[in-house]
Amino acid sequence: MTTYVTPASVEAALALLDEHRGRARIIAGGTDLLPDMRSGKRTPACLVDITGIPGLREIRVAAGHVEVGACVTFAELRDHPFIRQHIHALAEAAASVGVAAIQNAATWAGNLVQAMPAADGAIVALALEAEARIVDLSGETWQPVASLFAGPGRSTVDPTRQLITHIRFPRPAAAWGTAWQRAGRRPSLILPTINCAARLILAADGGIAAATIALGPVAATPFRAARAEAFLHAARPAPATWAEAARLAQEEAQPRSNPLRASRAYRSAIIPALVESALATAYGRATEKESPC
Amino acid sequence: MPRQDITFTVNRRTVSVTVDPAAPLLDVLRGPLGLTGAKQGCDYEGECGACTVLLDGQPVRACLTPAGKVAGREVLTVEGLAAADALYPLQAAFIAHGAVQCGFCTPAMLLSAKALLDRVPDPTPDQVIEALDGQLCRCTGYAKIVAAVQSAAATLRGEVAPAAPATAAPVIGGSALRVDSVAKVTGAAQYVEDMRVPGLLHVQVLRSPHHHARLLALDAAAARRVPGVVAVLAAEDIPGENGLGDYSEDEPLLAPVGATLRMVGAPIALVVAETPAAAAEGVAAIDVRYDILPHAFEVADALAPGAPHIAGDGNVLSAEQLQMGDLPAALAAAEVSLAREYRTAYLEHSALERETVLGYPDDAGRLTIIGGTHEPYYQQKYIAGALALPLEQIRVILPPTGGSFGGKQDPWPFVATALAVLRTGRPARLMFTRRESFAASPKRHPYVVHNRIAATRAGRLLALRAEIDANTGAYDSGGKYIPNYAIIASGGPYRWPAVDLSARTVYTNGPKAGQYRGYGTAQAAFATECLLDELAQALDMDPLALRRANALLDGETTWLGYSTGESLGFVEVLAAVEPHYRALLADAAAFNEAAGPVRRGVGLAGMWYRFGKSGSLRIEAHAELTRDGQFTIYCTAPDYGQGTNTAMAQMAAETLGVPRAHVAVVNADTGRAPDSGIQGASRATYFVGGAVVSAATNLRAVLLGIAAELLDAAPDTLMLQAGRVTSPTTHAEVTLAEVAAEFDRIGHARRVRGVFDLSDRFPAETRPTYLPLFVTGAHVAEVETDLRTGEVRVLRMIAAHDVGRVINRPDAEGQIEGAVLMGVGAALLEEVLPGHTTGLADYYLPTARSMPQIDVLLVEVAGRHGPFGVKGLGEAAMLPAVPAIINATSRAIGRRLRAIPATPERVLAAIRSDAA
Repeated sequence: MTTYVTPASVEAALALLDEHRGRARIIAGGTDLLPDMRSGKRTPACLVDITGIPGLREIRVAAGHVEVGACVTFAELRDHPFIRQHIHALAEAAASVGVAAIQNAATWAGNLVQAMPAADGAIVALALEAEARIVDLSGETWQPVASLFAGPGRSTVDPTRQLITHIRFPRPAAAWGTAWQRAGRRPSLILPTINCAARLILAADGGIAAATIALGPVAATPFRAARAEAFLHAARPAPATWAEAARLAQEEAQPRSNPLRASRAYRSAIIPALVESALATAYGRATEKESPC
Repeated sequence: MPRQDITFTVNRRTVSVTVDPAAPLLDVLRGPLGLTGAKQGCDYEGECGACTVLLDGQPVRACLTPAGKVAGREVLTVEGLAAADALYPLQAAFIAHGAVQCGFCTPAMLLSAKALLDRVPDPTPDQVIEALDGQLCRCTGYAKIVAAVQSAAATLRGEVAPAAPATAAPVIGGSALRVDSVAKVTGAAQYVEDMRVPGLLHVQVLRSPHHHARLLALDAAAARRVPGVVAVLAAEDIPGENGLGDYSEDEPLLAPVGATLRMVGAPIALVVAETPAAAAEGVAAIDVRYDILPHAFEVADALAPGAPHIAGDGNVLSAEQLQMGDLPAALAAAEVSLAREYRTAYLEHSALERETVLGYPDDAGRLTIIGGTHEPYYQQKYIAGALALPLEQIRVILPPTGGSFGGKQDPWPFVATALAVLRTGRPARLMFTRRESFAASPKRHPYVVHNRIAATRAGRLLALRAEIDANTGAYDSGGKYIPNYAIIASGGPYRWPAVDLSARTVYTNGPKAGQYRGYGTAQAAFATECLLDELAQALDMDPLALRRANALLDGETTWLGYSTGESLGFVEVLAAVEPHYRALLADAAAFNEAAGPVRRGVGLAGMWYRFGKSGSLRIEAHAELTRDGQFTIYCTAPDYGQGTNTAMAQMAAETLGVPRAHVAVVNADTGRAPDSGIQGASRATYFVGGAVVSAATNLRAVLLGIAAELLDAAPDTLMLQAGRVTSPTTHAEVTLAEVAAEFDRIGHARRVRGVFDLSDRFPAETRPTYLPLFVTGAHVAEVETDLRTGEVRVLRMIAAHDVGRVINRPDAEGQIEGAVLMGVGAALLEEVLPGHTTGLADYYLPTARSMPQIDVLLVEVAGRHGPFGVKGLGEAAMLPAVPAIINATSRAIGRRLRAIPATPERVLAAIRSDAA
């Protein structure tokens, strides 16, 4: 049914997609796509494997941002020395995706295009305020990752004519820290009951300059707790502050019940504990070192 | 289908295949390349890990890797691990440490471990656990695998010599190399799904998609026209009884038109085809019509007025009650009395190998059926009944089997496969998908237990009343015997002046429930052991002291009205756990002083388990002196991973006085080995072992008699050793090959029968249906709970069991460690929800990260009747783990949990409830 091609450049990949007019599809790790093909949810005539394209496998740490190629696997993110040491939430989120044998194949970019409301890669990308470079025949654009989700399992990126080539996120000049929290029915190889990523950027006076809190699965798409974030802006770092932000995040989150995983009530009940831990940890990391840069 | 040429390196050899490039690498390895070491345990979902191979040195799921992706790259499978002349150190270490049980997950474990050690030569235990995490193992509990990886790491670093098991040292009680583990670590072991048979047909099943429906019409004409479909078989194609004999008295093999289908997955027709795809197309092409009926999943709903009629009299399958002493008087005299309700869930065995059966007409015209089962002779009987064939026309063989835990006792896959072979005259294989295994194979019975306990203020037990409702699901499947097992287990090894124990099995439209490790007993023991803990709390008494004060002593008349037939070592078991229990209590108390959001708790549970079952008490096995002077044992003690092949060889070798390597075992083949009785209830080592020892003893006597003639010496002065018989007095000797030739010359059969017979040991009046054989054990759990989320982690387990006598230490420990982790799953994770649960993606088995530190204490209170003083173990180990964990969690949160699994949601609800 399916042909398999390994183009050597992004241009060649786009040309192949164009040639098949919607019947070809980008594949990176394939760990989500193969089950989708087996179940008949996807029936591509051609798989365009981009993992051999030079340059898409790199993690570049630049002065103001970090750029991650579309074919970087979760294992590579998890094990990258700079990310391990400075972008804790990303390293920990990467280590949360399935298990090692999945992380060795699955990619961050693929995880974003899969667009599940609790995708670990998507939740951490929101907290990092990441952007994705999307390329098609009409050109390239950098778009906020937050704008890529159209609904559960629906991405605005169309892998039959577009691909993400890179993901990048800023490295603030001020002191900052990130944290990752995840609850599930067992320690690993499990979809999250709730996952949460947080980032705190501190002002020169030690107050909070900016905060992000991302949560899943609490909405149809990966979710930013905007009211909690707004509350934290210019707030004093303190346990009571984390608790109040966590309460606000709980209020604005709208999780759903799943008989096999958790009820809405339970998911909602544990959000404060996860958000509070994430904020306290992120703050600790922001203050324990001068700057992650 | 467009195919592409793909060239890559596999096991250091360049190969080219022409395949669908989107096909999973797993299919390419197992198909055209014939590398069957990579196993399939789930439905290509990446959920089990059994297919994991190394791609450029990194573990990947071969089921999620498209073939096109490996072009130009290097793949390593388990077949490429060993050098030509030596096992890779990891393989040797897995064998030496007893890390191989059923062996189905072993190749993937080995490869994951290799990738770790290539990167991290000196890993911590946590790094090993992380590397193995998500490679599911259902047998070992992971502990021995982690130990083996660390040992191999030391070897690879050049610090210690390669692992070598002590094969020579005492045959019994030592750490013996398993007879079949080399094949399992090299990928050579051929499980049914690995076997290649020319002209093989593939069987798939049309199953009901409804919980409860009447089958109105079935039209297979379109299915028969599907290219590649050879036969579509329905009820009218069954020549004999459309059923499963006495295994399941109300369950058709294939539902006839007009019949009621009582569960999702109830089988309607078989499609037999040249390819799996054609079979699937055939199933989809069958035109079938249903009348959907109302359904009930819960016992209470099935018993309610106006409940849908499912089966039996008022949806009740069977019931039993046991009353001893004066219960009303005891309750009236009680100073303390508690009444509580406990609930358990449907569990799925989740053996890593799915139900897979292969059949073919053999050269002698017999129907030969190969598959994992507990009872090949029973399968033979059920097949004969359904196919209207004489028994001798059917041969059932047990191949290497990837775990069972009771799940492979269901004869349905055997009978269905045999029907396909009979009707097509060709070899055929039936292989359940994992989803089918979840829908259609038997589960553990969910219980609702109402217990009432009465005691004095000083902690003397006065009475136990139990009312147990077992949900048997849609069909009998052995459920009719459940009430007796539930009752016996619920009383436990305690001195009750009065009991009133009743149980019944109730039909619902949930999955059929059947045998599951500890058949009917673990759920009842859970309720009683939790209630004892509640009582101890109510009395402000130490729970260990409460149990010890009321423990039955060996020889004492029990609440059953008779004393146990085997030595009772419960007091010894409690003594073994006590110091560990005290230490863990101190640890938890110290930890909790911080009064943080994470709290620790310690829980204890005891149990007794009646092993040995009913049925014939005369068990037969054979021992043979081979022409070349070695030995072969013939018996039926199926080995689905627990190690009976090895145990039988050990006991025979010990009895004969020869090295274990000189004893071969022909096990569980109705064409070659005698029927050694029903298998189950942890009876193989005790009963079949007894028959093997008897046969070996008899053979040794005959052999020495014949050798004595040759040596002109008295038989009792002779020594039987490896390969020869010697006379210490005259120093004369004769080889066993010469003795064998003498057997043949004088016309004496070299194959000798042995019988283990307990018929006269237990008079019928002390043996109401079942043997009075009991073993005991006690577990202690230390858990950590997060009061904010309800998440529970088991930190430590102390597991003490009276095993009578250890035959093979790593195997005994492995049974217990595996049961402990299964207990972690049952206590915290696992639940089949009818109508929701589909497979391994939503049934949460413990992974390596769920593993606590497990300390096994093997208590040896010698038995009276079994060989070498052994007692049964494998299922017994299942009973105390769950109540120990639940008691520990209840103590940690200061609230009682009474339903399993104790999911974070249930635990948090308890934490936030007002009631203690």
